[in-house]
Amino acid sequence: MTGADERRIKWSYMDHWRSDGPAGPVDQWHSHRTMSAFLKQVKATGFDAIDTFDFRIWQMYGDYGGPAKYQEMVQDHGLERIVNTFHAADYDVRTYAPHLPETHENILEDFRVTMGRWSEIRLDNIIVMPATLYYDMEPITADKIKYTAECWNKVGEITAGYGVRLTCHHEFFCGIQSEPDLETFYSHTDDRYVSLFVDTAQHCIASVDPVAFYRRHAHRVSGFHFKDTRNVATGDDHRHRPDSEIMAPTTGKWFYEMGTPHGLVDFAAMMTAVRDNDYRGWISVEHDKANKEGGDYSESTAISRWYAKNVLEEIYR
Amino acid sequence: MRDTLRWSYALNQWNYRLDVFVRHEDQQRALKTVSACGFDHVELASGTGRWDNIARPEVILLNHGSHQGFLDFLRRARVQGVSSMFWDPQAPAEEEEGYAFRSTADPADHDAIVEWARPLVDFVAGVGAEQLVVRPVGSAWMSPPLDADGIKLVGEVWNRIGELTSAAGVGLALHYDCLGAVHTADELRALLAATDPATVGFALDTAELTVGGIDPVAFYREDAERVTHVHLKDTRYADTGEEYRMPGAESTMLKGGAGRRIERWFFELGTEGGLVDVPGFVAALRERDYGGWVVVESDHGGNPAELAMLNSWYLQHELGIPKR
Repeated sequence: MTGADERRIKWSYMDHWRSDGPAGPVDQWHSHRTMSAFLKQVKATGFDAIDTFDFRIWQMYGDYGGPAKYQEMVQDHGLERIVNTFHAADYDVRTYAPHLPETHENILEDFRVTMGRWSEIRLDNIIVMPATLYYDMEPITADKIKYTAECWNKVGEITAGYGVRLTCHHEFFCGIQSEPDLETFYSHTDDRYVSLFVDTAQHCIASVDPVAFYRRHAHRVSGFHFKDTRNVATGDDHRHRPDSEIMAPTTGKWFYEMGTPHGLVDFAAMMTAVRDNDYRGWISVEHDKANKEGGDYSESTAISRWYAKNVLEEIYR
Repeated sequence: MRDTLRWSYALNQWNYRLDVFVRHEDQQRALKTVSACGFDHVELASGTGRWDNIARPEVILLNHGSHQGFLDFLRRARVQGVSSMFWDPQAPAEEEEGYAFRSTADPADHDAIVEWARPLVDFVAGVGAEQLVVRPVGSAWMSPPLDADGIKLVGEVWNRIGELTSAAGVGLALHYDCLGAVHTADELRALLAATDPATVGFALDTAELTVGGIDPVAFYREDAERVTHVHLKDTRYADTGEEYRMPGAESTMLKGGAGRRIERWFFELGTEGGLVDVPGFVAALRERDYGGWVVVESDHGGNPAELAMLNSWYLQHELGIPKR
């Protein structure tokens, strides 16, 4: 954001959603009607934009006519635009694994094609989980981390050519998630091409203090997922096939909206750090799988925005 | 909502089963949702028993210690106050003679109903709310049609309660609902004529009037001076077959148990196929310098948070009303 009148912080909503439709539970991409209801609700509570997933691009083409046309619908509902997209790759060690150099050309080609598809709209970030699932990468060695960093340095050059930052988001079940491995990874990456996307809950789950981690790397942080958790991963929670986020035996629901009782994220400290580092731009709010165990996306979204307005914006004015 | 009109949101839709809106943290979640949508006042609906602890004055005061304690509870969620409270004396309450069944149409019940009103009037005044909103008469299917004298008798008890509310510095607003024994526009006007305009106002519910076959915009334009309270919501249907007279119309009509099998009558503002001219109605309020509360509600029309957010979007983006 530029200009004296621009707010220093604006809020974007990462588009996880479920609602009850006449045909049963649906996500917002079910129909134009459900999409409209989703966008209205996000805007009503004061979000300024949305983030989305890369795999939604097929529905953007099929249902709306492409990213630009879909973004027009977003804007018709009062939101500014699509800020970030999450490139949720299905890592496969046979063809697509950043710690395996023989797969790098496939990955680079994927990004050349992907960025072309998105080029009709302006994106700030394309977000990636920078390593395969933990169980496919272990043992985590210095060499594997170095190969992974080299891969993303090259990918970042490609995305920068499209004016989009390549930014890394470390899920607790990602091959690179522990504090020492994170530090090694970022020591090998070029901060011109590889940015950091801080997910407050994912770091907490992996026993990494997100505030301290952010303060160490603030210069390369290009965005956030602000969400909370009540649990830390224990034992081998991070290595369950096919997806530890769903299969981990200790915890049925990992994520909660900001301000949840017994939340582990210190959002006041987080926002203080954001302010201290003069971060300007978008903060994305996320609460994936909010509907688990009786939760409700609409309510969690409203309460998250309530927290952002009444607690966090009081810290960073 | 920041506007020349004063906007409030009804909490009734959250209390869809008697054990779901009991814990204070659940109430806080609803209040924060309403607040995030831009509303800083709420309308309460009266209830009964230990599970209705945001719906019964005695229980609210036990929970929060005082009127101020309850207001402090609301303000934790950045909700500043209570606009109004809804009460149906035909709905038996444990606190009112142990579920005694009484009717405003029966003069023998009037003394008891006036007594029942006292704690509600005291509470409305105590929390600084402006209106006690009431269901003036029971359902049409439960008794023979009211004649002119019957409507006058109903008016008498509300005049007595209007004196109570006026003495306490609050308003009394008779709420039309689509199943009520006062059903037609003529019957409604007869009831208003039977009550004292100085102490008894009218709560105009846009969807209820529409379901009942009365155009809310036209009615407001003709009777604006009596309208002291508004419930704003939409509907896709009108009761074109006098379904309100079916036995058990609360279930057979409003819950789709018979007739046309319509399970949902009430909808958020801006719903597709909505019959209420919401922009026209709000414009009419502005033309007459309406000074009361406009309470947006969804009345068990679906997911409470979703509907509050959709209503908020409509007010902001279709009517141009900025959030506070």
